[in-house]
Amino acid sequence: MSIRDAAFLSRSRLLAIVTSRPFLTFAIVALVWIVASFVTRGFGAYGHLRYLVELAAVIGIVAAGQTFVVIAGGIDLSVAAIVTVAAVGLPLFAIDADPTGLTPILAVLAMTTAIGLVNGLGVALLRVHPMIMTLAMATFLQGLLIIIAGGSAVTAANPLVSWVGNARPFGIPAGILVWVVVSIVVLVVMHATPFGARLFAMGAGPLAAKLSGVPIASTTMAVYGISGFMSGLAGIIVLGMNGQGYVGIGDPYLLASIAAVVLGGTSILGGLGTYAGSIPGAILLVTITALITVVNASPGWRSILFGTLILALLLLSGREAARR
Amino acid sequence: MVSSAPILAARGVSKAFFGNPVLRSVSISLEPGRIHALLGENGAGKSTLINLLSGALRPDSGTIEIDGRAVSRHSPPEARRAGIAVVQQELSLTNSLSIAENIGLGAYPRRFGLVDYAALAARAKAACDLVGLHEPLATPVGELSLGRRQMVEIAKALYRKPRVLILDEPTSSLSATETRILTALLEKLRGEGIAILYISHRLDEVMQLCQHVTVLKDGTCTADRPLEGVTAAGLVRLMVGRDPGDLFPRWDSTRTERIAVSVGKFSAGLMQDVDLEVRAGEVVGIGGLVGQGQEDLLLGLYGAIPARAASAVINDASGLPSNVPQANSRGLAYVPADRKREGLHLIHPIVTNLMLPSFARMPALKLRSRAKERETAMGLALQFAIKGDLGRAAQALSGGNQQKVALAKWMPLDPSVLLLNDPTRGVDVETKREIYAMLRAFAASGKAVVLLSSDTPELVHLCDRVAVVRDGRIVSLLERGDLSEEAIVAAAMGAERERQAA
Repeated sequence: MSIRDAAFLSRSRLLAIVTSRPFLTFAIVALVWIVASFVTRGFGAYGHLRYLVELAAVIGIVAAGQTFVVIAGGIDLSVAAIVTVAAVGLPLFAIDADPTGLTPILAVLAMTTAIGLVNGLGVALLRVHPMIMTLAMATFLQGLLIIIAGGSAVTAANPLVSWVGNARPFGIPAGILVWVVVSIVVLVVMHATPFGARLFAMGAGPLAAKLSGVPIASTTMAVYGISGFMSGLAGIIVLGMNGQGYVGIGDPYLLASIAAVVLGGTSILGGLGTYAGSIPGAILLVTITALITVVNASPGWRSILFGTLILALLLLSGREAARR
Repeated sequence: MVSSAPILAARGVSKAFFGNPVLRSVSISLEPGRIHALLGENGAGKSTLINLLSGALRPDSGTIEIDGRAVSRHSPPEARRAGIAVVQQELSLTNSLSIAENIGLGAYPRRFGLVDYAALAARAKAACDLVGLHEPLATPVGELSLGRRQMVEIAKALYRKPRVLILDEPTSSLSATETRILTALLEKLRGEGIAILYISHRLDEVMQLCQHVTVLKDGTCTADRPLEGVTAAGLVRLMVGRDPGDLFPRWDSTRTERIAVSVGKFSAGLMQDVDLEVRAGEVVGIGGLVGQGQEDLLLGLYGAIPARAASAVINDASGLPSNVPQANSRGLAYVPADRKREGLHLIHPIVTNLMLPSFARMPALKLRSRAKERETAMGLALQFAIKGDLGRAAQALSGGNQQKVALAKWMPLDPSVLLLNDPTRGVDVETKREIYAMLRAFAASGKAVVLLSSDTPELVHLCDRVAVVRDGRIVSLLERGDLSEEAIVAAAMGAERERQAA
C-alpha cells in the first residue's frame, strides 16, 4: 500500500466517523453547550457540566439496556417501573450482618434481572408482543409497589448506595464512573462478540436469524435480562443521589431512555444502531431539560417544550430512511 | 362442432415483469358453450394470462377482446360489467362474514340505499343451490372447511350471472363428491352457453370435462387445439418438452453407502408419514406441484417447525433436531427459497451475512476478530465468485449474488447435509449454471444434498434420485435412469393413476 493510498484510507475513515450518527449527536451536544454558555450565566461552568453528565449517567445506564432491546427488535416499556422497584425495594433487603451494604445491592440487581428475564420469557416463549408484555409488567410492578411501600418515601441507610450517589473520587462523581465502566462493557459486548452480532441479526430479520441458527429464545431472554439489570443499577444510583426512594421516582426514565436511543441513531425498527449514539443522546436530553429549567417556565410549559424539542431534534436528525 | 364467436379473447398478448418476459404473444379465445382447458407447469404463465383476461393486469402488447371488440382500458370493474367472473386459487373470501354476505360482497342488492338482506338471501340461496351448498347462509365462512369455502367462492362467481367463468384450479381442495357436483354444474353451465376457462393440474379431469385445450410453456403457447385425439401423455409432453442445453454439468454418481439422513413415518406440517433416505454423496430431488408440503419436509428435518417420526437417523445420531441450532450442530444447513426475508439480512453488510451462522455457533461472549472474519469472507467470496464490496449492504447485490451469499454463509460450518429450497428461483442463467456445478461438487465431496425445486429440468439433470410429493406424501421415487420431465410431471399430477387403473 502506497502512502497516498494510506492517506486516502485514513481520510475516508475519518469521513465515515465524522458523518456517523454518534458523532453528529456529540457535535449537537457540544454546540448546544457552547451556545448556552454564552447565553446563560453559569451554564458552561465545570461544576454545572459535571452535574449534567451525572444526571445523564442514570438515563444513559437505562438507555444501555434499552439499546440492547431495541437493536434486537423489541422495546422495553417496563424500565421506569424497574428503576422504581430498585430504588424503593433496596431498603427492604437491608441486612445488619453486612456493614458494607453490598448484599442488598446484589440482591436488588438479581431481582431486577429476574424481572427482565420474565419479560423475555413472555416475549420469547409465550410470544406476547414486547410492548404488551413490558407494559403489563410495568403495571404489575406499580401495583406491587403501592401495596408494599404505600405512599411514603423510604430512606436508604446503605453506605455503598450513598457512596455511589455522592462520592467524587478524583473529582468525578461515582455515578459517572459507573456509567463509563458500563459503556465500555456494553460497547464491547455489542460490537465485538458473537452475542452482539446475533442481536443485530434478530432485529434486522428474526426469521432469517432463526434459520441461520441464532438461538432466538435464549438471546431474547438475555436481552430483556440485561435491560432489567441496567434499570436496577440506575435505580440504585438514583436512590443514592436522592437519598430517598418513592413510588414514581423512575417515571422520567421511560421516555428518556427511548428518546436517547433514537436520538443516537439506533433504528426503532431494530437491526441497526449503536450504544455509542445513545451516550450523547442521554447527555443531549439532560441538557435540553436544564435549558428549559433556566427559561423559568411553569411545569406545564416545561413538559410541552420538552416534548416539542425532542420531536424537533428527531425531525432534524433522526428520521429513518424507508426500509425495503 | 359449430364454432361460434368468442365472448372473451386475447390476441397476441405479451407481458414482462422487470424485463423478465412471462408471456410471449399468446392468443386464446373463449367461446360460448365450451369448456376450455389451460395447462402448463408452475411458472408457465397461466396466472398472468388469467390476470390479463380479468383486467387485473394490462398487457404490454396485444389486445383483449370482448364480443369481438378490442377493449383499450380493460380493468376488473370493466371485466365484471362484461360478465367475466374469476374463481381465484387464493381464496378471496372474508372469514368473519357470513356465506350470504361473502357471495354478495361488492354487489349487494339495495333498497332505499340500504342492503336488502331479504333479496340478498334469496339470490345467494339460488347460487348456493347450484353448487350444492346446504349450510345455513348465516354461517361465517371462517367456520367452513377449505373445500366448502371453495364452493362458496364458486357460488360467489355464479351470483354475478357470468357469461365467462374462469376457474383457477377449482378442484385442488375439493373432495370427490364436491368435484362430481362441480363437474355436473359445469356441464350444465356449458349447456346454457357460458364460456368456461378451466385450469387444473388433474389431467384426468381435464380429459373428461373439456373440449378444447391451450398449453403454455415458458410463456409461449405450444398447443391450441380441440382435445379430441389427444392423450394425457401427449399433453404432458406439450407442457414440458424443452431443450435443457448445456446448463447442467456432466456428472457421474458419487453416491456412497453411508446414510446421511434416514426418516421413517416422518410428519411435519402438510407432510404425512413419509419415508426418506438420503446417502452421502448424492443429490436427492424433491419435486411436485407447488405447495404439496415439500417445504415442510425440509423445515421439519431442519427443526424449524414441529416434526415427528417413527424413526430418524441423521449423521449416525438418532432423533430429529428439535431446533435450528441443534440441526446446525448435527451437520444440517438450510438455504431458504425467500432469500430476502429468510435467507439474508439485506440491511447488513455482506461480511456479517456471510459470518452469521458462525456467530450463531460460537461461544456468545468470545471476542470477535474482525481481521479473521474479513479473511474468511474474502475466501468465501472468491470460492463462490461473489462480486461486490464485502463491506456494503447485501441489498446492493444482484439476486444471483445474494443467493450465492445465502449458500456460501454455511460453508465455514462445513455441513454434511445441505437442504436447499428452490435455490435457483429468480436467479439469472449464468448464476444457475454456477450453482448447478456447485451442487454436484458438494455431492462429489461427500456431502448429501436435498434439492427442493419447482424447476423440473433441474431435478432431471442434477439428481441421483427424485422424490415426487403430492398431497403431503411421496408418491413416487424415481431413480436417475427413470428420470424425465414427463415422468416427474406425470407423477406430480397423478397421471399414473389412470395407467394403474387401466
